[in-house]
Amino acid sequence: MNDQTKIDQDRAERTEKLQGMGCKRKRVEDIRFTQGKGSYVDDLKLPGMLFGDFVRSPHAHARIKSIDTSRAKALPGVVAVLTAADLKPLGLHYMPTLAGDVQAVLAEEKVLFQNQEVAFVIAEDRYIASDATELVDVEYEALPCIVDPFKSMDPDAPILREDIQDKMVGAHGPRKHPNHIFEWTIGDKEATDAVFANADVTIKEMLVDHRTHPSPLETCQSVASFDKVKGELTLWGTFQAPHVIRTVVSLISGLPEHKIHVIAPDIGGGFGNKVGAYAGYVCSVVGSIVLGVPVKWVEDRMENLSTTSFARDYHMTTELAATKDGKIQAMRVHVLADHGAFDACADPSKWPAGFMNICTGSYDIPTAHLAVDGVYTNKASGGVAYRCSFRVTEAVFAIERAVELLAQKLGMDAAELRIKNFIKAEQFPYQSALGWEYDSGDYHTAMKKAMDTIGYKELREEQAKKREAFKRGETRELMGIGISFFTEIVGAGPSKNCDILGIAMFDSAEIRIHPTGSVIARMGTKSQGQGHETTYAQIIATEIGIPADDIMIEEGNTDTAPYGLGTYGSRSTPVAGAATAVAARKIKAKAQMIAAHMLEVHEGDLEWDVDRFRVKGLPEKFKTMKEIAWAAYNSPPPNMEPGLEAVNYYEPPNMTYPFGAYFCVMDIDVDTGVAKTRRFYALDDCGTRINPMIIEGQVHGGLTEAFACAMGQEIRYDEHGNVMGASFMDFFLPTAVETPHWETDHTVTPSPHHPIGAKGVGESPHVGGVPCFSNAVNDAYAFLGAGHIQMPHDAWRLWTVGQKLGLHT
Amino acid sequence: MEMNGSQRIEASREQVYAALNDVDILRQCIPGCESIEKTSDTEMNAKVTLRVGPVKASFTGKVTLSDLDPPNGYTISGEGSGGMAGFAKGGAKVDLVPDGDATILNYTVSAEIGGKIAQLGSRLIDGTAKKLAGDFFAKFSEIVGPTPAAEDTPAEDVAEKKGWVGRLRDSL
Repeated sequence: MNDQTKIDQDRAERTEKLQGMGCKRKRVEDIRFTQGKGSYVDDLKLPGMLFGDFVRSPHAHARIKSIDTSRAKALPGVVAVLTAADLKPLGLHYMPTLAGDVQAVLAEEKVLFQNQEVAFVIAEDRYIASDATELVDVEYEALPCIVDPFKSMDPDAPILREDIQDKMVGAHGPRKHPNHIFEWTIGDKEATDAVFANADVTIKEMLVDHRTHPSPLETCQSVASFDKVKGELTLWGTFQAPHVIRTVVSLISGLPEHKIHVIAPDIGGGFGNKVGAYAGYVCSVVGSIVLGVPVKWVEDRMENLSTTSFARDYHMTTELAATKDGKIQAMRVHVLADHGAFDACADPSKWPAGFMNICTGSYDIPTAHLAVDGVYTNKASGGVAYRCSFRVTEAVFAIERAVELLAQKLGMDAAELRIKNFIKAEQFPYQSALGWEYDSGDYHTAMKKAMDTIGYKELREEQAKKREAFKRGETRELMGIGISFFTEIVGAGPSKNCDILGIAMFDSAEIRIHPTGSVIARMGTKSQGQGHETTYAQIIATEIGIPADDIMIEEGNTDTAPYGLGTYGSRSTPVAGAATAVAARKIKAKAQMIAAHMLEVHEGDLEWDVDRFRVKGLPEKFKTMKEIAWAAYNSPPPNMEPGLEAVNYYEPPNMTYPFGAYFCVMDIDVDTGVAKTRRFYALDDCGTRINPMIIEGQVHGGLTEAFACAMGQEIRYDEHGNVMGASFMDFFLPTAVETPHWETDHTVTPSPHHPIGAKGVGESPHVGGVPCFSNAVNDAYAFLGAGHIQMPHDAWRLWTVGQKLGLHT
Repeated sequence: MEMNGSQRIEASREQVYAALNDVDILRQCIPGCESIEKTSDTEMNAKVTLRVGPVKASFTGKVTLSDLDPPNGYTISGEGSGGMAGFAKGGAKVDLVPDGDATILNYTVSAEIGGKIAQLGSRLIDGTAKKLAGDFFAKFSEIVGPTPAAEDTPAEDVAEKKGWVGRLRDSL
């Protein structure tokens, strides 16, 4: 063995010991999760703690004539019953939403959706509270309700929001009707219309991304504890963005922000559901302030599915114009967005339709126009980003279905049409027609790899044969090939265009190296299962050469963590991950100065070597990071502050643009409508990969939720405004039994502006997966002239398609 | 939800019509009826306990008689609130057609439900409503036009169950 080999081997061993970036490090949080030792909000038990439960409206739209709480208050164990009348003097019967609207905490004069909060019963235990809700007598006068968003702006439509009916200018400009929330447009309308007027080929379709729900297994919950003597409030809750919640609580309660301690312990999934502020949080806080003891609120499953933030409900009239040889020239989209009774979308403040303008997708479409109208209906409020960046699943669904429809009209292969229109690698950074600057991408390479791996050509040949066999009556099975080539926009975001309630969407990391060389690092984000404790430690390990196992990551306590905007929209790695790398580099720079002092050389004479600084040309002269840490506290260079720590608040210069190529092969029994996913292949490019195992897990989870949304999951309302999908009896949550097998793959195109080149991956599989499944189903029926089939594609609906096509003779 | 049906009753149209206006008889026939009180000639307050699938609820509400056309028929409609469980609205249009000494009672029932009972029990509503309507008219024909075998019991039942509601009403 020669010297160089020895050196290489030594470095490899030291690198492996760090378990840094690129390592399939096992998730450290799983040690407690798999043993049932996680600590969730509902695990919290405080002395004297009371329990709250809501009285909810059975009506979708009704006037409240009277509320009588006397029978409830008489029940032994009931301590208090709050109604709007109690909250109104405090100015708390309405709370601000993240979208610039207000939302009723407890309904005052009217209820606007079924299960809306009407009164809050506080009792000695959860069962008494629940029993007492049935003793609150509320007299309602039912009013006609609006379920169909297309009827919201009818001239004779009942006015839903009487509280703002005279306010004809909302948070996002003029309102056209008392039930209208906003109109948001972007792009060149005239130029787009002109292209459409002269185009060879156009397609137009109403694509519905139906209402569904993030449905985390742990529902939303909070415990508020107000210390009357100190005047301090501690609020534990299922918060994806604890600091934002602290600011919101301060703004609406008037308590000074430093006297509010928000703590988000372990969270059992969020997927967007736990971004917003909910009536339960406010009522537990008010209850605790009024009663001086802790008050706990825990949502049940029906409450979660039917009241706290839904997702989607976008009705997208989507058009493409192209030349007859398949070059897309323009895109025109109008969206009717059903926001429910209050505009409680969780988007950056200036983006009422999120980043819907990413809808030109992965294609070089020179001209485009997008208009979005938001309307009120008698449904629960929300419109959160369910495992996606803001409205990106909707945008990708629109373009990826539209491209398929165009391919069909042109008689062209859907993959070929995509390739023909891809933004080319040399066009990056690419300026899209609707205002985004895509940071990087290599779509052709990814698509080719995906097509070769899945055997695309052979699959199409097999499909052609199967179709002939179907026509001859030899099989009752339809074969569909779904394609989706998506581009996401994540990592919100640069302060020039992203803020929440006026706070720029930076994120943060604070790293402290202890004298013995172990580390604690805190971030402004909050894991809900993403594995932050594992992955952030890997970034630090690689940057400063301390083993990941010696690094503790802590999030969720606003007293100790630096201010951050939280975890959603795949922003943790792009923003807080960047802050972590930058903070680590600050530490490394100081460490280099200390090492130079220790080794009595000039800083410039040192070079970094995995976990140490060594003197250039004298590899045996080095100081490890552990030695440097001790020196930082024991014998720092003269005139240098002792200690070794750093903070970074990272302002991202741009979003990141992960992309991927997905293929789905599906076989559908035309007589039963049962669809079987034969193969699902997902190639993701999320830039630099921090932990390939966690990425794979994220992809599996995102694909499973995509499968759920596309193939059955829905929050449906009947014509009276009854919510029909509010239990797991009706709401499809796939288990291991239904979930297909996933094949994962990747290419790596690092982000040029991110310190470690990472782009974020947690949501890509959802964004790309939904249209891929829908395209597979639509492709299966396309040759029979089915037209566009709306989601969700459950067996009953697909059976109905077969029925309409006369296939069930 | 809508449905219809008919029932043959061994009594004259006049008797049947009178019975359809008799709160005591209605109380016995409405499944789960705990109390019913007349507030005017065409209005009653009622309390009914119903079970739909997993939800059991006590509904209090109003029963209204309209389109009165003695002895050809009327419309009976009800609207009740079951608190947290939800609410129910429904009605039946009743037509009486003579058939010799007996009467054919044709009914068209419509029902609408809301709240938790609709969220959880919607797939059970049609079946439940059919059963409830069937129970009502079966009981009604048993009391009003008793078949010889069952003649005595229901009659006694009526007299006995006149009870406190009847006495209270008589005293008013």
